[in-house]
This record gives sequence, structure tokens and C-alpha cells, in this order.
Amino acid sequence: MKGKMINLATYFVLIIWTMIVLFPIFWMVTTSFKEKLDVFLGPKYLPWVDFKPTVKWWVRIFTVERRELITPFINSLIVAGISSFFASLLGSMAAYALTRYKFRFGPMRNDDILLWIVSQRMMPPIITALAVFLMFRVTNLLDTHFGLILVYIAFNLPLSVWIMANFLSQIPQSIEEAALVDGASRAQAFFRVVVPMVLPSLSATFLLCFVFAWNEFLLALILTYSRAQTMPILIAMQHFQRGPQWWDISALSTLAVLPPIAITLGLQRYFIKGLIPIGK
Amino acid sequence: MAQWQGRLFLAPTIVILLLLTIFPFLFTLAMAFGKVSFEGGALKITVIGIKNWTRLIHDARFWNALVVTLKIVSLSVLCEYLLGLFLALLLNRRIRGRTFFRVIFLLPMMLAPIAVGYMWRMMLNDTRGPFNDFLRRLGFGAVGWLSDPNVAMYSIVLTDIWQWTPFMLLILLAGLQGIPRDYIEAAKVDGASGWKIFLYVIFPLLAPASIAAVFLRSVEAFKIIDIIYIMTGGGPGLVTESLTLYGYSVGLRAFDLAYGATISFSLFFVVLISSVLFFLFTRKVRQISLE
Repeated sequence: MKGKMINLATYFVLIIWTMIVLFPIFWMVTTSFKEKLDVFLGPKYLPWVDFKPTVKWWVRIFTVERRELITPFINSLIVAGISSFFASLLGSMAAYALTRYKFRFGPMRNDDILLWIVSQRMMPPIITALAVFLMFRVTNLLDTHFGLILVYIAFNLPLSVWIMANFLSQIPQSIEEAALVDGASRAQAFFRVVVPMVLPSLSATFLLCFVFAWNEFLLALILTYSRAQTMPILIAMQHFQRGPQWWDISALSTLAVLPPIAITLGLQRYFIKGLIPIGK
Repeated sequence: MAQWQGRLFLAPTIVILLLLTIFPFLFTLAMAFGKVSFEGGALKITVIGIKNWTRLIHDARFWNALVVTLKIVSLSVLCEYLLGLFLALLLNRRIRGRTFFRVIFLLPMMLAPIAVGYMWRMMLNDTRGPFNDFLRRLGFGAVGWLSDPNVAMYSIVLTDIWQWTPFMLLILLAGLQGIPRDYIEAAKVDGASGWKIFLYVIFPLLAPASIAAVFLRSVEAFKIIDIIYIMTGGGPGLVTESLTLYGYSVGLRAFDLAYGATISFSLFFVVLISSVLFFLFTRKVRQISLE
């Protein structure tokens, strides 16, 4: 009886928190289907009950405003995709080296090197951003995909090294050692034996890097202005350029949160398992 | 084994970090002690000593941004930890549908902070937002969530809590799942109540995860700009202006790069000092939990 009560209370709290989590998202999505009047005379809650939903803002986004929208969207895909690919690949290579070799750079051993890499993530990005802005200005990398990709690789590397070092230190080394004895080089052992074994965590790392790069704001704000502008910048500028057109802003924001939501929901099992070494 | 192969594997990461983190870091440090000028398109930094720093110490707007940042960080990290711990304990129970809840609960931290900022700006709108609508229906007066100087900072904190409690939840849940069930069973056999089990068994064993979660989250929280940029732009007045936002405005809007660098660097010191204090403090906690 007591156990049942506790279970009921647990569900009650969990459902409340579910509603707290979902309501702001619900509000944004429904606002993108509201007429101007329904926004300004609001708040209107339920579609078909409180207001009649319209798809005209979505149609507008994909027709009239398509040209303004498509570049930032593709920029975001390219920049986040390529930078995450390299961040997870280079990061796992570094993690592999750190878990298989003994290094000594001056006083620094493997653990110190790992800590040094991971601690780069602690640095407030505004510090590097100001200098990178000048560096890119001098080297003509401002507002280029290449520049932003480079910066995002550096931005995500500490995370990917950290996650992958965790995994690579846990998998048994006997299989790759067998490959090495059979005459494979380290590179072959890594790409043919180790990578397939850790593919789930490697993909999860890639996706996490992707989400961070996709959502990143400050560096993109400072380092791009038109050609290489990303989605978050496009959305952030809406309010300044066109005033509070909440229906448009909501539609664009919905579009920007769709890929991360799809990644989280679609690959959740694999995603969470791939990132947390312990647990079920 | 051939050492050079290992170095080759490690090299790209080290080079990229040296080039895009360490070098810019030193560059910004140089700017903070100098003056930046462009002579015929060529960049020039002249060293002027500690002038920028004396200016910083006498800058009321800097102290304001510092206090705002510290308040936002401490308040939101504290709430996020308590909420995250509570939810993690609930999700660690063997109940049906916990995978479902776990995934839903993770969602906010995956969303672009820009979008989250707009979401909450709409929710907290004075006249058309659901928050004031609920208050009105319950018979209370409207609150100027983002326009009242006494409230605006708490609205930012609220938004930060909504977005980042999942992060605490994720790490604490992983920590909870790493606690061997035997320990808890043994405590039960000894007749300990649920509350006592939590206090004397679970909480001490969870200390490493707690420390990691609070530390990582705080470091991230110090960098806050995007939510503020969208929701209040630092206002009303300056009550929600964080250090990063101030550094950005000075450095790249007013284009006073040297002073912007000085402000940004002060943020680095704040993070550094806080981290050291945090580790000193938690060392004591760790010793207590071992006794």
C-alpha cells in the first residue's frame, strides 16, 4: 500500500515536470500556426478551440522567404556537420594515443595532457573570440565556412577527447594487440579494429558535437555576418530587423530545434548508452 | 612500440588547440595590456601597461556585470542541482515508462539557447504571455517578468533552470546507477529508513558525481550570453547584463577591442578563482564523506 502511494506520487511529479518541459515548446510551435490577431489578442492556448490554426507563415518561409532562409540553414548543416566529423575523429585519435602510449612533454604525463585538453573547454569563449576575430580579419577568414569550421572543431575537441578517452580506456586491448602482432600498423589497428568496436560511442560523440555546433551562438555572431551566417544568428536578428513578428520567429525557431529534437528522440537509446559508460 | 605513431595521433588535437585556444588566449592577454589600432589596414598593438585595468576597477558597469553574473550562476546552479537530484532520484526508481521520461526530460538542453530565449520571452510577455494570464486567472496582478528591474534577472535564471536542469539530471542519474544495489539493500536490512538511506548512503556515494555536475555546469553558466541577448539584451537598464555580454558590447559593438579584452579576461579570472575555491571546498567535503 505504501509502495503504491510512493509510486503514484512519483508519477505525479514526473508528469508535472513533463508538462513543464513540454509547455514552452508547445507554445513556440503553436505560435507559428497563429494568425497575427491571435498572437496580439492572446494568450490563446488550444488550436481549433481557442484559435484557428493557419499554415501561412510556414508557407511563407518556404516560398517568399526561402532565399533568406536557405543559406543559413545549409551553412549550419555544413559547418556543424563537417566540424563535428573532424572533432569526433581527431578527438578519438588523440584519446586513443593517450590511452595506448606513454607520453612525456616536460613535466606533463598522459593524465596531465588529458586534463590540459579537457580544461580548454573551461575557457570563456569571449576571450578567444576577440582574438580570433582579429586573426581571421588578417587572414581573410572572417565570414567563411572554413574559418567557422576550424573554430568549432577547437570548440568541440575537448569534449570529444574526454568522452572517447573514457571509452577507449575501458575496451579490452587484446584484439588490437592481436592485429598488431599480425603485422598491422597502429593506424590500421585503429581504423579497422578499434573504430568499429567503439562506433556507437563515436557516433554519439559526433551527434553531441553536432548539436553543440548547431546551437552555438557567440562565435558565429562574432565571426560571420552574411555568407557564412548560421541559423541561430538569422533567428537572433529577426527581432531587430522586423520587430516582434512572433509567428515568423516561432516558425524559424521551430525549424532550428527540429534536428536536435530528432536526434534526441530518434536515437535516444543508443545516444544515452553511447555517452554514459556506466548504467544499464 | 613506435612512439612517433602515437605523437602523430595526438598532434592534430594539440596543434588545433594551440592555434585556436592558447594563441588567441595570449593574444587577448596582450590586448588587455595594450591599445589596438589599425594603421593602413595593418593591425597594431601598442603596450600601455595597466591602464585598461585601472579603468576596469573604476568602471561601475563592470562591477554590475560581475555581480549579475555571479548571482545568475549561483542561483541557477543551486536550483538546477536540487531539482536535478530530485528528478534523478525519482527516475532511478524501477518504474514503468522511465525511458520515456528520461528522454523527454533531456530535451531542453538539446535546444538552441536562441530558440529557448524566444520561447521564454513569449511565455513571459507582460500582456500576451501565459504566465501573466495564469496569474490573472488566479486573481493576482500582472508581473513585469522582463520589464521590472527587480524581476528580470530571476526570469533569466528561470529560463536557465528550465534549459539546464537536464544536464544535472543526466550526470546525477549516471552517478546513481553506478551505486551498487548491495549497499542500499544492506542499509535496508539494517532497518534504515528511506530518508536515512539517502542521507548516509546515497548522498555520500554520489559526491563525486555531484561535484562533477556542479563544477561543469558552473563553468558553462559563467559564459552566459545567448539567453540574455534574446530575452532582455541586458536590460532593463543593466540589471541582466552579464560579463560576456558587456565584453562583447565593448569589444565588438563599440569596437574598443583592448578594453573588451580586459573585461573578458576578468571573466577568466573569476572562473579560475571560483574553480580553485570550489576544489578547496570540495576537498573538505570529500574527506568528511570518507570518515
